[in-house]
Amino acid sequence: MIFAKIILKKEEEIMAKKVLIVDDDVDVRTFVSSVVEDIGYKPELAKDGEEGIGKVKKEKPDLVILDILMPKESGIKMYRALKTDSQFSDIPVIMHSGIAKRTFLRSQKALDEFGDQPVPEPEAYLEKPIEPEELGATIKKFLS
Amino acid sequence: MSKLLLIDDEEGIRKVFSISLKSDGYDVATAASGQQGIDLFQQEFFPIVLTDIKMPGMDGIEVLRRVKEINPEVEVIVITGHGDMESAIQSLHLGASDFLTKPISNQLLSITLKRAEERLRTKKTLNKYANDLWNMVREQTEEIKRRYEFEDKLVQRSIDGIVATDKEGNIIIFNSAAEEMFGYTENEVKGTMNAGDFYPEGITQKISDVFAGKDRKASDIFVGDEASVIAKSGKAVPVRFSCAMLYEGDKPIGSVGFFQDIREIKRLEKELIKSERLAAIGQTIAGLAHGIKNILNGLKGGVYIVNTALKKGAAGWSEEDKIDYSNTSALPLQSRFLKRAADITAERERQQKKMKTGWDMVERNIHKVADFVMDLLTYSKEREPEYEKYNPNIIANEVCDLMESKAKECDVDLIRDVDREMGEIYLDPKGIHSCLLNLVSNAIDACIFDSDTQKQWHVKVRTRCEKKSCVAFEVIDNGCGMDEETQSKIFAEFFSTKGGRGTGLGLLVTQKIVNEHGGTMDVASQPGKGTVFTIRLPGKKV
Repeated sequence: MIFAKIILKKEEEIMAKKVLIVDDDVDVRTFVSSVVEDIGYKPELAKDGEEGIGKVKKEKPDLVILDILMPKESGIKMYRALKTDSQFSDIPVIMHSGIAKRTFLRSQKALDEFGDQPVPEPEAYLEKPIEPEELGATIKKFLS
Repeated sequence: MSKLLLIDDEEGIRKVFSISLKSDGYDVATAASGQQGIDLFQQEFFPIVLTDIKMPGMDGIEVLRRVKEINPEVEVIVITGHGDMESAIQSLHLGASDFLTKPISNQLLSITLKRAEERLRTKKTLNKYANDLWNMVREQTEEIKRRYEFEDKLVQRSIDGIVATDKEGNIIIFNSAAEEMFGYTENEVKGTMNAGDFYPEGITQKISDVFAGKDRKASDIFVGDEASVIAKSGKAVPVRFSCAMLYEGDKPIGSVGFFQDIREIKRLEKELIKSERLAAIGQTIAGLAHGIKNILNGLKGGVYIVNTALKKGAAGWSEEDKIDYSNTSALPLQSRFLKRAADITAERERQQKKMKTGWDMVERNIHKVADFVMDLLTYSKEREPEYEKYNPNIIANEVCDLMESKAKECDVDLIRDVDREMGEIYLDPKGIHSCLLNLVSNAIDACIFDSDTQKQWHVKVRTRCEKKSCVAFEVIDNGCGMDEETQSKIFAEFFSTKGGRGTGLGLLVTQKIVNEHGGTMDVASQPGKGTVFTIRLPGKKV
């Protein structure tokens, strides 16, 4: 019985869905990854959008939690790269930012009008700071 | 044709004269006695009366007197007997215009009458002139009155208080606005108070200087000073005061003061200052709250991680782990036991690692709080730099050493360019160190926030000896740069371009320390090209 449990656990780990966390703030990365782990998923970390895109290609995450304001404008760039690539556009993205949702959407609209390819709204938008329970619940909504 | 009344008791004379006068063109009426003449005169107007003196009953003198009584304008010519000079003189005294002495030649008569007529004409003209003059005077007087009334109304209806004085400073005008403003009535003020009771002190002195001839014209108008006047109630009324000297020709004859009531303006000013202060406090508090909130989030995150790690790490042997001795088909007991023990240990180790991560986060944020509080204190306190003899190059090198690893991590070349001629100067090494550290760390941030990833970023830290023993530190980056709007805000409290990472205090504190050194700080920046911050210190060489 115990053995079975151990094996099950192992399988769970192997099979655990991957959540890619992209944020330039080490505190946020640590906190979010801890929450992801606590609800039974596997966190992958990236400290900016460039690294994030690399991780998406390599790890094929089931969910991306993405900051907007990062060095080299890479939050917005990465979001656009994801949503305009048919290979990745199905991966749900939770925007996790200090910027108010309204402000973000307006900036996206402006970019669309400037001739960029229009992109859909993110699947979820969480404003910092976020409570672990709410973050956990939002992640579960997409993965279970 | 002139009308003429001839009074004579001798019929012969009346006849002769009548004929002669009529032929001269006069309209002649005659009377045979003084009484008859007066009666006629009362019925009808004659501009010229010719009367004999010696007549029975009412004589010529009496006729003259009566006629003049009735109408003093009438030309009365008396006829006297030969040698009766006395009567002639008396009649002239009584207002006769001329006299004729018998026997009277026609020629003399007509000359005399012509003169009389001439006088009448002159009198008439004079009368007309006098009348015209009178009319003119009346019109002018009315105009003056109208004007006076208008000016009086102007003064009375003025919204500003108007107080005018004579040469001695006695108040002669005190309009209703002044009454309202100062609480005195015009009657209370006139004759009892003087300029000094209302004019600001210095002005009263200046005015008396003008009167004393000490200060002519130079200061005859005093404009727009704010002053306060003590009203009847004892309260000070804030006013804006202007004053002008009044002159007649060159001679000063008085002064006039204009008092603009600024009680409402003052009240609004006070309110504005109050609301501005409240707004400033509000902004400061919002800035503080923002800074603290960001750090608090970090702390909370750390605490959360530590807590979950504690909970999970504490989990050990549980009910499920009780060995089921009845189940003999399972693995040997011992290996089952060992496997479980190893799992628990591994989990504990994992949780311990996690706890360390969480605790590091807590510590990091505690440092942030400490830095934030230190920045606030530095910014809010007046403080003298702790001067030491120090070589600025040492500070530049120390800061570069400190930032080297962060720069490398962010793909930024950190370049040192120190002036080898640099000598020791007096400065506060700790203060300048933190200034330079702030600028270099900002410069690295400017590089990593640059969207142009093709660039090879660099941050150059340069020291220079400038002329006049001035020392300059320059921090030059080729990062994202700033637009003009951002440049204008960077020295404002709590302004930050770094979202949650910035407190908006760094440059403020840096500038303050530089200012305390008597130095200056300049910034030049171009969006997309980079930024140069320059600190200049007045380097008193040792």
